[in-house]
Amino acid sequence: MSENMKINTRSASLEMEFANRAKQVLSTEPILSARDVEVEFTLRGQRLNAIRRCSLDLYDGETLAIVGESGSGKSVFTKTFVGMLDKNGSITGGSIMYDGMDLAKFKTESQWRKIRGKKIAMVTQDPMTSLNPLKKIGIQIKEAIELNQNVHGAAAKAKAIELLELVGIPDAARRYSQYPHEFSGGMRQRVVIAIAVACNPQILICDEPTTALDVTIQAQILELIRKLQKEKHMTIIYITHDLGVVANVADRVAVMYAGQIIEIGMANEIFFNPRHPYTWALLSAMPQLGVKGEKLPAIDGTPPNLFNKVTGDSFAPRNKKALNIDFLEEPPMFDVTPTHQAKTWMLDKRAPELKQPIDVEKLSRKMNEPQPTSGDIEHPHMSPDREALVEVKNLQVTFGSGRKKFVAVDDVNFTIYKGETFSLVGESGSGKTTIGRAIVRINPITNGEVLYRGERISGKISKEQDVNVIRKCQMIFQDPMASLNERAKVDYIVSEGLYNHKLYKNEHDRQDKVKKALEEVGLLPEFSSRFPHEFSGGQRQRIGIARSLIMEPEFIVADEPISALDVSIRAQVLNLLNDLKKNRGLTYLFIAHDLSVVRFISDRIAVIHKGRIVELAEAEELFRHPLHPYTKALLSAVPNPNPYLEREKKLMVYDPSCHDYSVDKPIWCEILPDHFVYGNELELDEYRKELN
Amino acid sequence: MAKKNDAKLDVRYSNSNVEAQTELPVKEDDRVSAIGADESRKVVNLETNYDAVELDTGKEYGPGSVHTATRSKMPEKQLFQFAEYRAQDAERTGYSNYSYWKSVWANFIKKKVAVFMACIFFALIIFTFIAPAISIYDAKTVRIDFPNRETRFVSPNSHFWFGTDSIGCDYWCQVWSATRTSIILSVSVSVGQIFVGVIIGLLWGYVRKLDRFFTELYNFIDNIPTIIYMTLIALMIGKSTLIMAIAMIAFYWLGTARNIRNLVFMYRDREYNLASRCLGTGLWRILTKNIFPYLISVIVLRLALSIPGIIAYETTLSYLGLLDISTPSLGILLRDARSNFLEYPYLLVFPAAIVSLITVTFYLVGNAFSDACDPRNHV
Repeated sequence: MSENMKINTRSASLEMEFANRAKQVLSTEPILSARDVEVEFTLRGQRLNAIRRCSLDLYDGETLAIVGESGSGKSVFTKTFVGMLDKNGSITGGSIMYDGMDLAKFKTESQWRKIRGKKIAMVTQDPMTSLNPLKKIGIQIKEAIELNQNVHGAAAKAKAIELLELVGIPDAARRYSQYPHEFSGGMRQRVVIAIAVACNPQILICDEPTTALDVTIQAQILELIRKLQKEKHMTIIYITHDLGVVANVADRVAVMYAGQIIEIGMANEIFFNPRHPYTWALLSAMPQLGVKGEKLPAIDGTPPNLFNKVTGDSFAPRNKKALNIDFLEEPPMFDVTPTHQAKTWMLDKRAPELKQPIDVEKLSRKMNEPQPTSGDIEHPHMSPDREALVEVKNLQVTFGSGRKKFVAVDDVNFTIYKGETFSLVGESGSGKTTIGRAIVRINPITNGEVLYRGERISGKISKEQDVNVIRKCQMIFQDPMASLNERAKVDYIVSEGLYNHKLYKNEHDRQDKVKKALEEVGLLPEFSSRFPHEFSGGQRQRIGIARSLIMEPEFIVADEPISALDVSIRAQVLNLLNDLKKNRGLTYLFIAHDLSVVRFISDRIAVIHKGRIVELAEAEELFRHPLHPYTKALLSAVPNPNPYLEREKKLMVYDPSCHDYSVDKPIWCEILPDHFVYGNELELDEYRKELN
Repeated sequence: MAKKNDAKLDVRYSNSNVEAQTELPVKEDDRVSAIGADESRKVVNLETNYDAVELDTGKEYGPGSVHTATRSKMPEKQLFQFAEYRAQDAERTGYSNYSYWKSVWANFIKKKVAVFMACIFFALIIFTFIAPAISIYDAKTVRIDFPNRETRFVSPNSHFWFGTDSIGCDYWCQVWSATRTSIILSVSVSVGQIFVGVIIGLLWGYVRKLDRFFTELYNFIDNIPTIIYMTLIALMIGKSTLIMAIAMIAFYWLGTARNIRNLVFMYRDREYNLASRCLGTGLWRILTKNIFPYLISVIVLRLALSIPGIIAYETTLSYLGLLDISTPSLGILLRDARSNFLEYPYLLVFPAAIVSLITVTFYLVGNAFSDACDPRNHV
């Protein structure tokens, strides 16, 4: 094969595994075979072609990952295998052959009941909503067993407990009679998986089972799924948008875009030799592969609106290297290798040749190797005349009162210097958002203080200073769907700050400012007369950014600004944030849970756990010498978009009980210049030893 | 594979680096340059003749449709050459054209029954003004000018279209003027209570400090039966229509305010409100711009449903003798008809039919309009 395939770090055993899988794909019959499936939804008189002639073969015992952005139809496509389309959707063409039956022709529920759960089971995304909150966990599993396996009473209960043990729930007999709210998110997802595998299905469809979970939990669930697959010999379809997860689980990968599979192949082929421009774009837009200080190669625009008829290649309008024919005719599937097909005219004999853009070396780079940087980056905190912009001192935030009191943030100290991107990383519920909100004064603080340019801005301050702080400290929110007022036009949303403080001379001046702000974030000025719901997530996020930019802030709290966005859109927003930082000299407090993003964008990173910052260091330093066990666990769990590395990574699990703080009290210590860690004397000594 | 690798055209797929064999001087229109001043997106011309292609940037088009016409005539060789990349096409791909009130209207007129009922209702209102005019009689004159004829309890005939009542007044005129009075009373009470209820509900829901006060006020007023207040007001202040209307508003707002308050709770801590707080938006602007628009469909529904409710309540009040009877309303007609409707059923049928018509109309129109106002129903 090509030189691109030469990777130093690949393991021979995994190579063998891929080769065996490929042999299987070529020599055996598929257990499920979907041909030209078409699905249509009717939404208030309009028809949406969610799936446009999509074909897929599934082979016994494999794990097939389906990757795509939201709205690409990956969920809908697999839901047709279990007859779980929403009421307004229907299969309008094609066939799905399974076990000699055409599932696409199934009409009645009783037909489906023989397949669903028994032969093909499904694990859904959100463990919070897929369990009945009013029923005991055990009863819910028992129900599934009794319904499908003809085992009843005590025998079913014993089986349920056995299943709970199988999915790794400790003390299963006691847990059996607990309610869902007594389980954490990860535990709940384990229960959902237990219910799904209760009847030994042949095929298990996992629809983003870890998207709602933290990275460390995600890694554990992935391990569990892999273990179950081996023990029960299941075939797994894994739906996700995260290429790191794909690298972890998949034998084969299918890439979906606008209701079609546009590329399918063995995992190593897709990762190291992708052929479709969309797959290229998707892979190269990952921050893990980015060069710090440079732009990420972003994909402009948004996926097509499937209410409209799509002519030609659906990716063409966003493809910078589209061919003329892409706009006219839909490309057929071309064979790259017998196991690897791609649907692009680029593979036609007549097409000009185009070298694939991403370097394989980037993929094979390990997480603990320094991320390549362009030239030398000067971190603002390293300069001798650094200027502290925001200082947080002994910050404590509590919610509730009396017995219900909950300490969200406890004794947090840090300083953000002018011009830097300071990141807060932690799992959900760690208090990172609370800190951000406390700084912009949406959440009241209980103790401690926040200084801005040396002046206290928390608590009661003068009206003049209040307005000044509002102008200088702005926030960007996580969910672009929730953070814009749906009932106001973009024009109003963007100029809200101007109206509030009369920051414009006249109407003309205001419109001018709105136009400039929209242009700055890469939106067309004509968008100002539209409503937010017409925009895609990425565009909405940029509107949110424009809204804060118009105040001409110095400091922006970016609260998970890209975590709700699709992979192809993330790069746009990251690039924009970096550009604004450069052009306007902004300082960011960047809040995130995704370490690969944080590494790409940050100067310094603070790791927060249960309301306390446990470690704080320059980004590369943190990746090179993580000290605190929690930091290590977090770093070990980060998905790496390289199947060879991802499958061999060693997970570390953090157990807070490893700290003994009963006598020796922990302190916040600067162990190296600009590298802080939280620990007691004993631990600090160990950390020092590690560093030497 | 190997052949692909010694590609003649080494083009890296990257944003900042779109280059190809030929590169013409930047041929951007102003919108392209607007999109990213620093992301130099150069238009790549690859020997294809694009001069023939119209660049109508103002026009909306679906993805790919831009040059379809031109391209379909291309020779095969050109088909497999790189196309021009147009950034605004990429930005545009996901669009629909939308206006809120247009969509509300479009959705509303789809509900044929509701539109039909609305038309009937408007016809009814107009008719209440012209009906007395086309009649030769008026409501309050007792007809005694028919010699040798009993003018009381005359069944509907060509003279008295709806017959006459117990004292010999023309019932046609009475019914229409009563309808007019009832509609005016119920609409004004309804609008009044919605106005008060929405303002108080918004404050109650959004301002945490006021929650306790309004909850206690609500409990205090709500726990004493309204009929007691109404009796006291009627006896102590007077029974005029205006006073009773104000008295009804004074109690009707309670339910509305409570309903609105509960809805405000849903929206109060949404991220867009946090964003507004970050921008220093004042209370009034948050309430009117951020929260009120979300409640429109609920408010419309409440308004529509409270109108028949108030007509029914007014009937109760008239029945208890708490309303001024000098201006007849539908309630008063119904009360009067009660005593002898077994012998003269037409006395009950006409006003009852109109009350039913109004009730059904507002129910249907209100539901349809509130559905139409809900943007989740706009595609």
